[in-house]
Amino acid sequence: MHEMKASSLSLVYDGSYDGFLCAVFEAFERRILPQALLPASRPLQLLLGDQQMLETHPNLAERVRKGIIRKSSPRNASLLHVAFLSELPGVELLLLRYLVKLFADAGGRYWQNMLDEEVFEVVQIARKVKKEVHRFNGFVRFQETADGMFFAPIDPDHNIIRLLARHFRTRFSGQQWIIYDTKRNYGIYYDLHTVQEVVLQNHRINFNAGNVAGEVKALDEDFYCRLWQEYYDAVNILERQNHRQMTNLMPRRYWKYLPEKNKAGK
Amino acid sequence: MKEQVLKKLQVLADAAKYDVSCSSSGSTRPAKDGALGNAARAGVCHSFTEDGRCISLLKILYTNYCIYDCAYCINRRSNDLPRAAFSVDELVDLTLNFYRRNYIEGLFLSSGVVVSPDHTMERLIAVARKLRNEHHFNGYIHMKAIPGASAELVAEAGLWADRLSVNIEIPSENNLRLLAPEKNFGSVLSPMNQIHQGIVVNKEERRKFRKAPRFVPAGQSTQLIVGASPESDFDILRLASGFYKQQQLKRVYYSGFVPVNLNDSRLPALLKPPLVRENRLYQADWLMRFYQFSFDEILDDNHSFLDPNFDPKLTWALRNPAFFPIDLNTASYEMILRVPGIGVRSAKLIVTNRRFGSITFTHLKRMGVALKRARYFILCRELPLQLKEVDPVYIRRKLSPSIQPKAVQLSLFEHA
Ligand code: SF4
Repeated sequence: MHEMKASSLSLVYDGSYDGFLCAVFEAFERRILPQALLPASRPLQLLLGDQQMLETHPNLAERVRKGIIRKSSPRNASLLHVAFLSELPGVELLLLRYLVKLFADAGGRYWQNMLDEEVFEVVQIARKVKKEVHRFNGFVRFQETADGMFFAPIDPDHNIIRLLARHFRTRFSGQQWIIYDTKRNYGIYYDLHTVQEVVLQNHRINFNAGNVAGEVKALDEDFYCRLWQEYYDAVNILERQNHRQMTNLMPRRYWKYLPEKNKAGK
Repeated sequence: MKEQVLKKLQVLADAAKYDVSCSSSGSTRPAKDGALGNAARAGVCHSFTEDGRCISLLKILYTNYCIYDCAYCINRRSNDLPRAAFSVDELVDLTLNFYRRNYIEGLFLSSGVVVSPDHTMERLIAVARKLRNEHHFNGYIHMKAIPGASAELVAEAGLWADRLSVNIEIPSENNLRLLAPEKNFGSVLSPMNQIHQGIVVNKEERRKFRKAPRFVPAGQSTQLIVGASPESDFDILRLASGFYKQQQLKRVYYSGFVPVNLNDSRLPALLKPPLVRENRLYQADWLMRFYQFSFDEILDDNHSFLDPNFDPKLTWALRNPAFFPIDLNTASYEMILRVPGIGVRSAKLIVTNRRFGSITFTHLKRMGVALKRARYFILCRELPLQLKEVDPVYIRRKLSPSIQPKAVQLSLFEHA
């Protein structure tokens, strides 16, 4: 593998992981390290130099994906995907630098070397994302609708919604549910058979408060929600008050859709 | 009817909250397609209370009526307070509806003793049985084994529950008898031993017949109250260590005594729960469970209380300077684990990655090692001064100021 040359070009992809992998392919083809590698949705005004919008070709993406697996392992390939879903600024370039080293590595163990800066960073970011997934296994709150659907709005830091599918599919296989990312405006819907991605149109949900509108709510929904709020208050031990620890473990940004933290609003 | 359930919930959740354990980990109850729930191996927290504790299970009492009169307990019969009892159906309905909304991982059901230990145990079992059999509920169930309940009932409870616990509460027999006249160590230890036996036998059975029903798959735990009676930390750790070794408990919980009953001359007059002490005991417990320390390495007859100013691993290191410094590039995993500031994850990272090159300060920092403490105990390239030997007096002085302000903050915080 020849050296990759730093370039003032910015590559813009469509925001999907496939799109990103195509951008990686492009960079390898031209042997350049672009100055930026960005999804089209992120504002570009501040960038100097040329920009190029890339097309996404699933088979190119597949080639890169296979290459990653060949050079490391299927698990490691999905780890990179998880890190990508962090949506942290600059994660694409980090992954590109990582992939340059991975594909140049003759020994075949580059990706296991946590002393390497890129490897460590990527693993660290993937851990962060997985941590948020684990948190949301707990923080998702369903509301039951009149037609027996369970709806949960979420607003996570990272783009984790697909990573939630398996846990909820396993746990709630007997009820229909939707988990919806109100910021990224898409969600996953389980129809008792499979989980699919959905975008809600003409919905009856207030994305600010996360409430399902009164008339489509199940009859007992407010009652159980209130019981939960009361339960939350009742188990607190005043003598042990430790607000700081609570907010460390459950940061304020996650409270938006937790009924127990929004008692007045109900 | 709804208002009634709400009232009961308030009374019976409030009465259950002093049991500190809420873990939902350690079980793998598989999901069945179309049925409700599963138990994940790593427990999940669904919320955190204002006091910073994880809410994982719906922790609730079947009733707070009690025929016993334990001095440390808010529900003792001599207290004049609102009492309530759920019906089996109410508890089943609450659990299912909380679970479906993903408020909880499952149910933690305990109770005051009504009529008799057997009668109480039967009620708890009825709830769990109904959840499992009629509603095909596969979520986590933690049930209290009521001290004094018959062996048959404890055995049945173990078929429905993921975890059973019997609380020892008071860490010595004498003081337990003093504070809980109707209880003794035997009434706690015999169900504990029975459950332990049951688990051992069940493991054997499941090895032979994969289909054999599980018995308490997430093991058992207990809780003891810290500071309601005069036992030392050494006494407490010795007891806990015995539970881990003999009864093979999964967890021992330490609950700093919250003085719920004032004016009982058998109890100490505490202004607030001993939270720092409780925290140090948890740290020591971690050392026993994950760091391969034995209780008598952490404390001994001459040091019978944990140092409130330093964590127990650091205290051990300062008492054993000859063990250090440790060369991270060659030392065994077990030795690296003993270095203050190095945790399980970083110790593993060091051991699995040093084949790629020598471990530097930058690496350690990235791995999350607390260099502030670790630096005095390791040999490592880039270390500003190469240690020949470890000087406890010097280190104690160096580390004290940075720990002191934290301790002060902590107590300020407790007042708030
Ligand atoms: S038996 Fe249990 S509920 Fe009853 S007084 Fe003793 S500790 Fe409290």
